[in-house]
Order: sequence, then C-alpha cells, then structure tokens
Amino acid sequence: MSLFESFFGKKKSTADVAKNRLTIMLSHERASCKLPYLDDLRNDLINVIKKYTKVEDVKITSHNNQNLELLEVEVILGK
Amino acid sequence: MGIVITVTSGKGGVGKSTTTANLAVGLANLGKKVVAIDFDIGLRNLDMILGLENRIVYDVVDVMEGRCNLAQALINDKKSKSLYFLPASQTKDKDILNKEKVKALIENLKESFDIVMLDSPAGIESGFEHSIFLADRALIVSTPDVSSVRDADRVIGIIDAKSERAKNGQEVEKHIIINRIKPDMVEAGNMLSVEDVLSILALPLIGIVPDDEDIITSTNTGTPIVTKEKSLSAEAYRNIARRILGEEVEFLDIKAKKGFLSTLKGMFK
Repeated sequence: MSLFESFFGKKKSTADVAKNRLTIMLSHERASCKLPYLDDLRNDLINVIKKYTKVEDVKITSHNNQNLELLEVEVILGK
Repeated sequence: MGIVITVTSGKGGVGKSTTTANLAVGLANLGKKVVAIDFDIGLRNLDMILGLENRIVYDVVDVMEGRCNLAQALINDKKSKSLYFLPASQTKDKDILNKEKVKALIENLKESFDIVMLDSPAGIESGFEHSIFLADRALIVSTPDVSSVRDADRVIGIIDAKSERAKNGQEVEKHIIINRIKPDMVEAGNMLSVEDVLSILALPLIGIVPDDEDIITSTNTGTPIVTKEKSLSAEAYRNIARRILGEEVEFLDIKAKKGFLSTLKGMFK
C-alpha cells in the first residue's frame, strides 16, 4: 500500500480480492478437471477398506496449486 | 506444411473473433499465407469483422459436405492478398461438424497455407472441441475479469486433455493474450493486472491489448485495426503476429494517461 493510500485509508484493492477468490476457486476446479478417475478411485477405496473395517464414508479432496498436487483421503470409520 | 493456430477463450465476448481477424491480417501482412476459418457454426461473425460478409457464397460446411470445392469457398481478402477466409455456416444445427471431415479439411489446408487460424466458438461444446482437436498452438484470449480468467483456465485444461497432440503425448503450445486491459484501473488496484492473470493461469504471455474504442469503430467498418498506423492496440496486434513467427518483440508499455490526481498520487508513492 502506498503512502497516499494509507493517508486516505484505502481498503484492500478489489483487484487483490479478485485474485484471491480466483486462486482459491481454481485450485479446486483444476483438480476435479484433471482427475476424471476420482469417483472410481473413491469406490475402489471403499471396497478395499470395507474388507478390513466397517467404513462409513471415504472423502477424497484434491488440492492443487501451481507446483503441488495433493490428494487427501479421509476415511471415516464410525464410532 | 503449415501450422494450426486456434484462438479460444471459453467465455464469450472477450474478443476472440477480433483477435483472430487482426492476427490473420497481421500475419498475412508479414508475408505469410494465412487462412482464417470461423468455427462458430450458427453464429458467424468473423466475416463482418474482416469486412468480407458480402463475398460469401459457400461456407465451411458446404466444403466438408462436398457441395463445393475448397477453392470455390475460400474468399481472398483484397487488401491483404495472402489472406484467405472460410466462413462458418449459419445452419441452426451446431452439431453438424464431423471429426473426420474437419480433419480432412484442415490437413488439406495445411498443405497450401503457412498458417491455418481457427476462430473457436465460445463455450466448451462440440464446436469448440473440433476447433482445438487439431491445434498445434492455442492462443487463449482473456480479459482481466474473474469470469474470463476462470473460463480460460478451464479451457486450458480441456486443450491439454482433448487435443490430438495431447493424445499423442505431445503438447499444444499455449499462450495467453490479455485483452481490453485498462491501465488506469489497474494502477488504481481495481482491475487484475497482467501479472495477476499470468500468475493464475501459469502460461506464457504473447500479447497485451489495451482497451481501445477504435477497435469498435474499425469493426463498424469491417477494417481490422491492425493496419492502422498510429494506434497502440494496432501495434499490440502487430507485435503478437511477429511473436507468433518467433521474433522477440518487447511488450508495449501500456500506462494510464496521467491526470492531475494520479500525478499527485505518484508523488506520495
């Protein structure tokens, strides 16, 4: 923020807000677009885990930024 | 053997056809033999931007269906002699294109042209898929607003997944054109900057075109602005054409016109 802006108490610029919103939105969208096998993977995982435990749900979330792709698998075993 | 360059964007109204027209004329004026094809079946527009709408007899679907031969359908621009144009069909059946026939046509055109430029329709439906399937290069046009950037990102992913090159393990060379940038808004922090857009899309830049009312007037008359001497946006298009041919051209310094207030702001920075 420039001196001028701090004098006049300017808030965070709308361009910055736009950039942040886009970055967050796209990191979700890119993953689902890039990994078309996500649903199949999820079903297979459930089947495997079912063999050993009483699984209630498997959540797969993918995160993506420019350098790193992350697949987060969360297995909910119940009580 | 020529190359296929597809101009695309995802979102409509960001200036795909205007970009295609100006780059086609720009490349032709650099001595390349260019054919521009409008792939927006049912919503033909490139003809009017190029000022060739009165010379259309046959269209791209007529060629593919064998109702005429290629030479009959190609329209030669009288101002840029090495530019040819193949109009879209105005049929309501937008799914009329067929992959094999599109491929045959484009392979045929690659034999006799240096550059085959495809103006893709907006959206990600079949017309779009046909236009990117055979692309060697893609120019992704985006304006600096959230919807355009978001759609551009999506389209980039689809090009990587669905082009023939991608299927053969090769890559489509992709570049970003940032269109309609308003430097005064960027400086005030109210518009995404070139750097912002590039950091989000993570692809190399090939051109920045400033927002320019003269583009509207040049579309009114059907004379692409690229031929105009003293115009920043025309120079931007000419530079993109040169960069496409591999020349290294510095990016234009697009700055806001300084008024009293912005000069004052500048003093406090």
